[in-house]
Amino acid sequence: MTAQIWIWRGLVAATCAAAVWLVGQLDWARVIPSWQFLLLALGRSWWLAIVAMGFGLVAAVPLALLRVYGAPWPRRVAALVIEAVRATPELMIIFWVYFTLPVLTGSQVSAWDAALGSLSVIAAVYLAEVVRAGLYSVPGAQREAAYALGLTRFAAFRLVVLPQALRNMLPALIAQLVSLFKTTSLVYAIGVMDFFRAVSVTNSAVFAPYPLYLVLGAGYFLSCWIITRVVRRFDPGYQLAE
Amino acid sequence: MDWGVLWEYRAALATGLGITLGVSALAIVGATVLGVLVGCLRGSGVYLLQRLTASYMELLRNLPLIVKLFFLYFVVGLPAVPSALAALVLHQSAYIADVTMAGLRSVGRGQSDAGASLGLTRWQLYRLVILPQILRVILSPMTTQYVSVIKNSSVVALIGITDLTFQTQQINVETFRGFEAATAATLLYMVVAGAVIAGMTRLQHLRGTR
Repeated sequence: MTAQIWIWRGLVAATCAAAVWLVGQLDWARVIPSWQFLLLALGRSWWLAIVAMGFGLVAAVPLALLRVYGAPWPRRVAALVIEAVRATPELMIIFWVYFTLPVLTGSQVSAWDAALGSLSVIAAVYLAEVVRAGLYSVPGAQREAAYALGLTRFAAFRLVVLPQALRNMLPALIAQLVSLFKTTSLVYAIGVMDFFRAVSVTNSAVFAPYPLYLVLGAGYFLSCWIITRVVRRFDPGYQLAE
Repeated sequence: MDWGVLWEYRAALATGLGITLGVSALAIVGATVLGVLVGCLRGSGVYLLQRLTASYMELLRNLPLIVKLFFLYFVVGLPAVPSALAALVLHQSAYIADVTMAGLRSVGRGQSDAGASLGLTRWQLYRLVILPQILRVILSPMTTQYVSVIKNSSVVALIGITDLTFQTQQINVETFRGFEAATAATLLYMVVAGAVIAGMTRLQHLRGTR
């Protein structure tokens, strides 16, 4: 066991040394002038993910409520919408919003609005499932106890069920944010200057694939890693499992 | 609306569907094999293997699929189809490893102790005792993973593989009938996903887990 720990540490040290050496070998002179452009684009990816998450959450709560507490028909419609969007590839949803909806409505949307719109739709349906699981995670007895105390339906939901559900679904919510952040890279396909497209464009201009793809990987990895660390802090189940 | 365009382009749509099915099927098989292997190694209790596989999963799960795909295709310079397959397999194997790990955890420690005390080798232990029990637990989360592979396979259109998504774009470019084409493609994706879900549910019934 201890021997393996030292082998692992040796491997990590060797990998770090090799990485540092490799980074030193790369042609950074061509990439460095673009650093502001790339950083701005990374910020734009973050912005897309966070705003779509916000819109998604606003839409997800009524969808989930409808699916859990709704009358039979609204419940079926909500389930159908959620399942249909979840079965459609994310890239198709982006194409739908950008290329296809304007044909129906007759007005062209900008690529940025289409990106934000499609990411919000994607976030909404996945978050609806997260919210639904959160609502189910609260035992029914809690609601019954609240009714027994004379709380109205709405008060029981707002004061008893929702706070507990929110706490239970926090890890899943942040996991969705990681997933959404990675999905933002697909808006590349409709020409939005997100981090992925910014790196591609820079590469076409200066042709330095190795340093640029390293920046690309590091940008996404660190962003997701930071969010994941936050998830684990909030997830007692994960810490027990490790 | 002009739904006739779908009939006109039926050959293109069929080719696209075939390619989507082929790429997804191969990627599903590859990702399952690699993912279950990585998950078992991570749950093996050997420190070095645990750290290595944990790093593998951490790295692959924190990079978007399209980054892996473009890296393999444009930087490494693999041909389109191998890049697509490798990217899909690498991407999903990290998630399938996680599912496998959760399955391993659900099989009690007592099971492997009992197997070991019966004198089973490690390989026999996994093949005869642990994997059959895991299978009962992971079929359902595995279904989600397989549907993900099918959905993710649409990304291969971006490197010019003529899958269903690519054909849809092609029809849109040639005839401006994007709405009809997108409807057809979306429905086809849903049918494929539905078939996978139905198949996996059937498997669960056969294994007596539902």
